[in-house]
This record gives sequence, structure tokens and C-alpha cells, in this order.
Amino acid sequence: MKLSAKLILFITSSKLAVVLLFVISLPFLVNGIVSEYISYSLRLQQDKVIRIIHKNGINYYLQGDNNYGSYTMLKEEYIALEPSTANTRIDTIKTAKRLVERDTLNYRILMHTFNYEGKNYLLEIGKTTSSINQYNKPLQRLALYVLMGLIALSLLFDLLFTRALIRPLGKIIKSKLIDRKFPFKNHPAPIRTSTYDFKYLDESLILLMEQINEAFEKEREFTANASHELMTPISILQNKMENLIGDEQLNEEAVVKIADMMKTLDRLKKISRSLLLISRIENEQFAKSDSLKPAALIREVLDEISHRLEEKNLDISVQLNDQVLLKGVNHDLLFQLFYNLINNAIKYNVPAGNITITDQEISQNSYLITIQDTGIGIAAEELPFIFDRFRKANLKENVGYGLGLSIVKSIAAYHNITIKVSSTLQKGSTFKLYFKLK
Amino acid sequence: MKVLIVEDEKTLAYEMEDFLKKAFYICDLAHNISDGLEKISANSYDFILLDLGLPDGDGLTLLPKAKKHNPDAAYIILTARGNLEDRIAGLDLGADDYLPKPFSLLELQSRMQAIARRKFNLKEELLPLGDFKLDLQKRLIFFNGQQIELSRKEFDILSYLFLHSNRVLTRMQLSEHIWGTFADDDYDSNYIDAHIKNIRKKLNAWAATNFLETVRGVGYRIKK
Repeated sequence: MKLSAKLILFITSSKLAVVLLFVISLPFLVNGIVSEYISYSLRLQQDKVIRIIHKNGINYYLQGDNNYGSYTMLKEEYIALEPSTANTRIDTIKTAKRLVERDTLNYRILMHTFNYEGKNYLLEIGKTTSSINQYNKPLQRLALYVLMGLIALSLLFDLLFTRALIRPLGKIIKSKLIDRKFPFKNHPAPIRTSTYDFKYLDESLILLMEQINEAFEKEREFTANASHELMTPISILQNKMENLIGDEQLNEEAVVKIADMMKTLDRLKKISRSLLLISRIENEQFAKSDSLKPAALIREVLDEISHRLEEKNLDISVQLNDQVLLKGVNHDLLFQLFYNLINNAIKYNVPAGNITITDQEISQNSYLITIQDTGIGIAAEELPFIFDRFRKANLKENVGYGLGLSIVKSIAAYHNITIKVSSTLQKGSTFKLYFKLK
Repeated sequence: MKVLIVEDEKTLAYEMEDFLKKAFYICDLAHNISDGLEKISANSYDFILLDLGLPDGDGLTLLPKAKKHNPDAAYIILTARGNLEDRIAGLDLGADDYLPKPFSLLELQSRMQAIARRKFNLKEELLPLGDFKLDLQKRLIFFNGQQIELSRKEFDILSYLFLHSNRVLTRMQLSEHIWGTFADDDYDSNYIDAHIKNIRKKLNAWAATNFLETVRGVGYRIKK
């Protein structure tokens, strides 16, 4: 999931959780507020009653009676005043039931005893609790609406802000990480952002890319120079040995030894040449201006290599579409690529085994050639490394110098060919080459 | 035939001289461009073997001047630079052939022979090989006027051995000549044995092939 999506998801859910909590606790909150308010207004009413009594005398209420009681029509409120016999002074607010005209109702009641002209009186002012609850529902609903509106608004702001905030990251990913083909040829410009972290990330990536480029350049230069510089000394040695071996006076033993030395030298020569070839491919020193039919190319390769097939008594089946044309390629390099792959298929095959070469047009611009053999296969742990230079698989003694497949890899990379390899030990290997048709 | 070797790597120049002398060429050596130009203006050569990386400049710069003095000579460029561009540049300037280092002296000699045949219009007749006759130009082999079918590679091997008669050629040398330098990094030299076996089988059907010798542990030789 993308960072922005995650952020929005988190913000939304955390906000919703808070709102839910608030709405759930709203009745209690409203209860609390309302009862606080009622207590406050009861006290106000008490003060008013006491004030009136002090001003107009107790008879203003009692009017000669022993006690006084009054309530509103729906019995939402009542007030009662009566002489109190108890000597204890009471001054509380509590919730209790009261019977008013045959209706037993829950009231919030203020009880207050006071002394007036030597006599104790008890004042009770009550308010039904149902009148408290009547605020709850509309309050809750209103709060819900307002909150929802606020959430929607704040989410919109969050969305806009996170998007603006994270945009540089997306740009970094797009310009520095996605579809980067090594080596990094064009140097991407630094991203413009005021976020320090992104700036740091971007600068680090650019630095890293430059370092990788430099290291790669150095390695490439080294390979080219080393293999190039080796040519002259090898040439000298080879010519000296050739002159030696042509000497009539040399005894047979010496000739055999020199022939052995020449073999070793030849190996050195081939390694240098292969490295040089790889470095030339990597330096793009080959023109890609040929057009060729893979079917014809593979026929050429097989012409060159068929004697090896006969020697191992291998059966080869080639089923290729003669119409497919590859454009903008280098004939010699592709020849080398198929030569190396088919040569491997022969070399690592079992006597009387098979090699199958087939093709498939996957889509308008994607074309697949599959080379399958019934050879000794490649161990799963070796598979990721078979294209690495000088990596020798532990196959028999008949191993190469580890460069045949490296050359294949360089040529494939140079031509935008994707190679996929699958293999089962003792069963064989399959090389799939995905070409891009233009 | 007179040869000028322009090569700054002296050891290499001496080995080439040594080899070519045995093949009855007359050799002069030059180790830089100015020395080379001096020799070219003073003498006339049949072959000029030219190294490209010389201490006082690129050998290619020598080529046009040398051609003025010595237009009939055959020029072979020898270099460790195997780039296509270099090769094209050299051939464009009028070089006759191009041999990337490291090269085999046998290969050099074969190229020189090929150029000599082409350039100097040497009359090519049917060359004797035992009871057989070889036509190197048309790449054919005959027995009593009857043509014998050899595959391309088989003829290549036979003619290469023939051109270097009386010399042991290792499997490696043969293989390099036949398959060139581009093909593979680890060929198996058994293939040469297989080809020799086929050549013997095909020729033996007509006459003895005692001239084609196996030299144990080394390679093959044609004895004249």
C-alpha cells in the first residue's frame, strides 16, 4: 500500500474512533452537564425563595396554613415548604422519588432547612429527571451531524495536505528508483522540496547513483584495459612458443610440453578475449543496425556446431517461425549468444539426449525463443549465479571458464532481451529469451 | 619476399622476424613511425606489417604516406585494438588485411600467402599432396582428375596443414584458424580429431594418406 493511502486510512480511522467514543459518551456527558445545571438553577430558586421569605415573611407562602406546596401542570417541577421538627440541618441535592398527586416520579430534589423566627422549616424544590433526559437525544444527534461535517472537512484538508506533503517522495521514487536501468546514464535533477527528510533522501540517492556509476565505470575501464594490455604479452609468448615448436631439433618430450603450454596460453587468450568482448559490448562498441530472422540465424549456428551434435548423438528439433524479423540488432553478437547457449545445451547434455528450440509470439511486440535441453541441469542454489563472471558450476570436469554465459548476459542486456532460466537436476535446463519487437 | 615489420614491442618483432626468416622471407625491423617511414622511403617491400600503437603515434597515420612511397606493397595491420571502427579505418586507408593481437604466426603466414596469391597474381596450379592434387583457389581436392567431396571445415583443416607443411600444428592452432576468435571461450579440441578422422576416411577410399601424420600429444603434420 502506498504511504499516502496508509496515512489517509490511519487518519480517517483514528478520527472515526474518536468521534465514536465521543458519541457513545455523549449521554453521560449531557447527563452530567444537565444535572450540574439543574443543581445550579435549584440553588438559584432556593436563594430566591429565601430572599422572598426574608422580605415578605413566611406567610407569603404559608398564608396561615401549616405547609405550602406548588407544582407545575405536568409535575415537572414542584416546591414544598413545611415546618421541620428535626434539629439537624439539611442542605443537599439528591435524586429521589416523590408522590405528587398519585404520580410517583423521579425528581432531582434540593432539600434545605432553615430557621425563621425561631421555627425550623424544610424547603424542597424538585425537578423531574425526565426533563433532564429530554435534552439528550437532540443534543446527541446535533453533535453527530456537526462532528461528521467537521470530519469530512478535516479529511479533505488532510488529504490535500498529505498529498502535497508526500508528492516529493513520489517524484523521488519515479525519477530515481522506478525503471532505473544500470548504468544510470542520465543524471536526474534534484527534487524541489522544503521537507528536509525528502531532500536528504533525494541527495543521498543521487550521490549513491553517482558512486555506483563511478564504480561501474572504473570496473569497465579496468576490464577493458587489463584484457587489452594482456594481448601484447600473450602475443609474444604465443609467437615464441610457435617458433619453438617449429624447431626440428627439439625432442618429442619438449614438443609435447610446449604444446601443453600453448594450451594454457590459449586459455589465457580466450579469457582475455571474452573479457574484452564483454567490455566492448558494455561500452556499446557494436552497431545495432542488422535485421535478421532468428530462424535463419539459428540455422547458421547449427551449421557451425552440428559436428558436436553428431559426436554426442544428440537429437535437435528446431521449430521456429520463418516470418519473424528482428530489427536493430547486431548479427555477430546474436550469433554468439545463440552459439553459446546451444553449445552449452550440447556440452551439458547426456549422450543421445535432446535439444528443442521453439518460439512463440506472445504479443504484438513480444517474442519468445525457448532453448530446452535434456542435460544434467543446474542446481537450484547455482541458478541465480550462472551469469556471473568466473562462477564455475560444480559440473563434471568439463567446465568452461565461466564467461560463456556472461557474454550471453551482456549481449542480451545490450539488445534488451530478457532471459529466464529454469532447470531441474538430471532433467535439463530451459533458457527463455524474450525479445522486444519494434 | 621482403617484409618490413613496424612493431615497437621488440620481443614480438624478433619472434616474427625469426619465424618469417625460416619461411624464407627477408625481414627489416622498425620500432616507430619515423624509423618505419625512413625504411619505406629507402627500400621497396612486398609486405609491410604495421602495428597501430607506436611510441610516436598511431600506425594508421603512417599508412597513407607509406602507400605513396610503396604503392605495391601489401599492408597487414597488427594490433591489440580489435574494434570494428579501427578495423574499418585501417581497411579504408588501404590496408589489405587486419590481424588482431594475439595472433598466431601461422595465421599471419597464411594471410600473407593468401594476399600474395591475390595481389601478386601468383599462378596457382594444382598443388601435389601425396597422390592427390589441391586447388587452394577453388578449394577443391582431386584424385586423378576426380573431385573428392570434403566439407568446408575439412578442406580448411587440410589446406591449413598443407600451407604449413612439415610443421606440427597443435589442435589449438588448427581450431583457432577454423573457428576464428569470436566463437567460443572453451571449445573442445576433440573436434579437430573428429574432422581429421573424416578427412582420412574420405581420402583413404582413393589412396593412402601417409602424408597426414598424427603427432602424439601435440597435433598433426603434413609431411612433404
